[in-house]
Amino acid sequence: MLPPYVLREIARNGSPAQRDAAMHALASDGTFRSLRQVTPPSGAPGMGIRGALDPEGRKRRTIYDVGNTQNLPGRVARAEGGGPTGDAAVDEAYDDLGATYDFFREAYDRDSIDDAGMPLDGHVHFGVNYTNAFWDGQRMVFGDGDGELFNRFTISLDVIGHELAHGVTQYESGLDYMGQPGALNEHLSDVYGSLVKQYRLGQTAEEADWTVGAGLFTEKVNGVALRSLSRPGTAFDDPILGKDPQPAHMDDFVSTFEDNGGVHINSGIPNRAFYLAATALGGNAWEVAGRIWNATAIDPTLKPDTGFRRFARLTARAVASLYGSGGPELRAVREAWGGVGIDPT
Amino acid sequence: MRLKFRTEGGLAFFPGLRAPIEIDTSELREEEAAELVRCVEEARFFERPEGPEEPPHGAADLRLHTVTVEEGAHSRTVRAYEPIEDPALRALIDALGALAKKLGRTRRTHDAEEDRP
Ligand SMILES: [Zn+2]
Repeated sequence: MLPPYVLREIARNGSPAQRDAAMHALASDGTFRSLRQVTPPSGAPGMGIRGALDPEGRKRRTIYDVGNTQNLPGRVARAEGGGPTGDAAVDEAYDDLGATYDFFREAYDRDSIDDAGMPLDGHVHFGVNYTNAFWDGQRMVFGDGDGELFNRFTISLDVIGHELAHGVTQYESGLDYMGQPGALNEHLSDVYGSLVKQYRLGQTAEEADWTVGAGLFTEKVNGVALRSLSRPGTAFDDPILGKDPQPAHMDDFVSTFEDNGGVHINSGIPNRAFYLAATALGGNAWEVAGRIWNATAIDPTLKPDTGFRRFARLTARAVASLYGSGGPELRAVREAWGGVGIDPT
Repeated sequence: MRLKFRTEGGLAFFPGLRAPIEIDTSELREEEAAELVRCVEEARFFERPEGPEEPPHGAADLRLHTVTVEEGAHSRTVRAYEPIEDPALRALIDALGALAKKLGRTRRTHDAEEDRP
């Protein structure tokens, strides 16, 4: 059976007969995903089966220019279907939100942040010399950087993917933004962000650079990116920014009150586990390892207060339901968690 | 007037930027000191709620600023998540951020010199 993203490709580009067949297959495919589409959780604004029948999806991007203030939303600079503006931040946000939408749609059959076609709002030129990007619960916001240490925050596709994925987590598990659940929230955003980039570049797990935010630092910074999933703790070591604080193993878990209990610090541990699983499985990371992690991220039993060990167990359970228990997938995932000091059984 | 300023949170954790800065306006250049005093007054700092308000549900990578101002018998700490829409409070935080950057660098150059054998 063809995976949904291939069917979607056919529905989009095939002949009328191929298109009909692909639409039929998409509508009748008996996966958990289709069940979710037919029976949205009570009270949720689900779009039902229509989502599966709309081959174009409902990509609805709006990029706003906040005009170097902090007063959101700002003025509309580019709406869905509009041409390039010549403003690099506006056009990067537009293109990369599109690439992130396409990734979720094609790789995991997800229709936007809420899986019901939610509009994607990106806000650029936020603040003055502003050195951050964030998700505020309904929109993605990007600063221009200070030009000294940081370039504009739309420069890295994986940072845009990271922010959009915070929206996905909000609508799925709602992982608390504190301690281990918060580090898992950050972890999922790093995984999705990195996978969006790998997907667009067509890179295998072996070819990928496994960083988040490459290109964000100016040349004055001694560092390659904000984080490394393959070698947490090695992304930067700079006289001004300090040294990348991420641990790669539970032995080095950081207990702190800062950073919401180290959400951007201890995410290095599950990040490395994902990298280990993806490289052990080989090929395109979004196809097997990514599918397992995505199934875990949307698992209704992933509760907001889930810690590392329970999350690891849920990935193993996802493997069993997707691939069975006797194959190389379960071994790879178990060994990956073992490699960072977490017992997934 | 004495001020303390600290920024936490954001898309990544940078250990080099974590330390709060402490400023005594009597140790600043005259125009820098005057600018800070003006910002504190315009922000009506001693009348502001201490905060912070809860960030919106599901928000992530937000930065949180903590500002303490001591003047005579008065002392107040105000905490605020971004975005900061009040232009007066934002001007104060921007001014402190610029000073933090400058002071951070001087302090570090200092440390590096002291580290030398
Ligand atoms: Zn984040």
